[in-house]
Amino acid sequence: MQTISKMTRRQFVKVAGVTAGAVLYLWNFTKLTYAAVKDTIAQRQSAVYEHDTKMKIRKSQDSPAIHKIYKEFLHEPCSHMSHHFLHTHYNDRSGRIKLLKESGLKLKV
Amino acid sequence: MRQIEKVSVLSNAPRCEDSDNVYFVQVDAAKCEQCGECEGRCATGAIQPRNGDEGPRTVIDPAACINCGQCLVNCPYGAIYEGVSFVNEIFAALKNPDTVVVSMPAPAVRYGLGEPFGYPIGTYVGGKMFAALRKLGFDYIWDNQMTADVTILEEGTELIHRLTGKIKKPLPQFTSCCPGWIKFAESFYPELIPHLSSCKSPIGMLGPLSKTYGAEVTGVEAKRIFSVSIMPCIAKKYEALRPEMADSGFRDIDATITTRELAYMIKKAGIDFNSLPEEEPDFDLGASTGAATIFGNSGGVMEAALRYAYEVVSGEKLTVPDITAVRSHKGVKEATVKIPSFGELKVCVVSGLDNAVPILEAVKSGKSPYHFIEVMTCPGGCVNGGGQPLFPDVRAGSLFKSIVARMNRRFAMRKTA
Repeated sequence: MQTISKMTRRQFVKVAGVTAGAVLYLWNFTKLTYAAVKDTIAQRQSAVYEHDTKMKIRKSQDSPAIHKIYKEFLHEPCSHMSHHFLHTHYNDRSGRIKLLKESGLKLKV
Repeated sequence: MRQIEKVSVLSNAPRCEDSDNVYFVQVDAAKCEQCGECEGRCATGAIQPRNGDEGPRTVIDPAACINCGQCLVNCPYGAIYEGVSFVNEIFAALKNPDTVVVSMPAPAVRYGLGEPFGYPIGTYVGGKMFAALRKLGFDYIWDNQMTADVTILEEGTELIHRLTGKIKKPLPQFTSCCPGWIKFAESFYPELIPHLSSCKSPIGMLGPLSKTYGAEVTGVEAKRIFSVSIMPCIAKKYEALRPEMADSGFRDIDATITTRELAYMIKKAGIDFNSLPEEEPDFDLGASTGAATIFGNSGGVMEAALRYAYEVVSGEKLTVPDITAVRSHKGVKEATVKIPSFGELKVCVVSGLDNAVPILEAVKSGKSPYHFIEVMTCPGGCVNGGGQPLFPDVRAGSLFKSIVARMNRRFAMRKTA
């Protein structure tokens, strides 16, 4: 391999360019690997599942607080009481979206 | 404008009649480096340059924004701020001796709240959170996980009623816990509204229960109760302001704050979070199960509902509650669950609304094979919600990005000049 001092200008630029490319590529590769290892969303997710296994009761229907509220207040799932307090209706909001699109705005959906 | 856990927040507490015209997130044009990160994160296209292809990004119209805040938590420059905050109102209510303030923290909050106090990402700090809420002066420590369990019974039963034809509503049934998804469906897929579970979200249920059942068991007059929803989410602020959320005869939810804002309040009150003891919530609207705590993960609502539906439909005990087939890291996951005396239940779990669009189109054209579909707006679920503490890598390592962004900005300026 030639030493840097004996290189022509052209050769030097070529070597420098390839080296810089390789460094950038490897740096990016390292960064991606690092990000995959310390996937922050997965860290919070696995903490959730881990805590779930530590809970004494793991099914909603086995909870004493659930038994109590249905006995004293809600009676049964989808009862009249639960429909009054716990269920809702939804509104068609597409009108304003339609107006926005007609005004020339580009949306993704 | 106030800095709350690295996010700028306006101290603006709107009333429900204004909420459709409020910007829950907006871009500070002076700080925007025009890198386009927010545009990539936005599922609706609500955030874009005001004129054409270049220039600082902005939320064009509140109607197109579903308030998820994914743009905000992923902006490398902290250029996006929150437009609504109830922190002042809550501090005032806590000081007012005539008000009985009750807490309603969401499942995912306890897996993010430790981070602003130096705990590693994802550390469970539920016990300390309950202790901190007591210290802040909350009179009753109720827990949104309790009504996550209620949601399972209600939504699971609704699904069974749809499957058996007891109610005349179409399949597949969609979950309705995520307020970003609900506004998205109402705005962009109104024809799918009959597919949405009629169940309110867990906080939509705990609000009215706190002022009815909660008032009953504690003997407190309902009108004195001030209910505080604590969420990993910005869209929950919009949900609580919906005019229909007043079934208790009062506003069901008086104030909504994010995980970040709770951390801010704990620090502001001078509470030493790390040395707090582990405490429990108050039983009646506070005790909960493992099925409730997994609500914060993509696939969690599905798994919790299956733990219930399996036993009700088959009449058999589910010996191993873990249904790992529906656990989803990011994106889409489909599964078939065999339920004795029913057969195969086909389910789908999706997070990130751009991933949901093909599934929604299939349902619209009647080609969807599923019985039950869980949709969450934020990739990975509420643990990655727009109200959670920022991940450390969002703002860090932005040197390279910022050089590229500055070059782009210069280039854009020259082009327009």
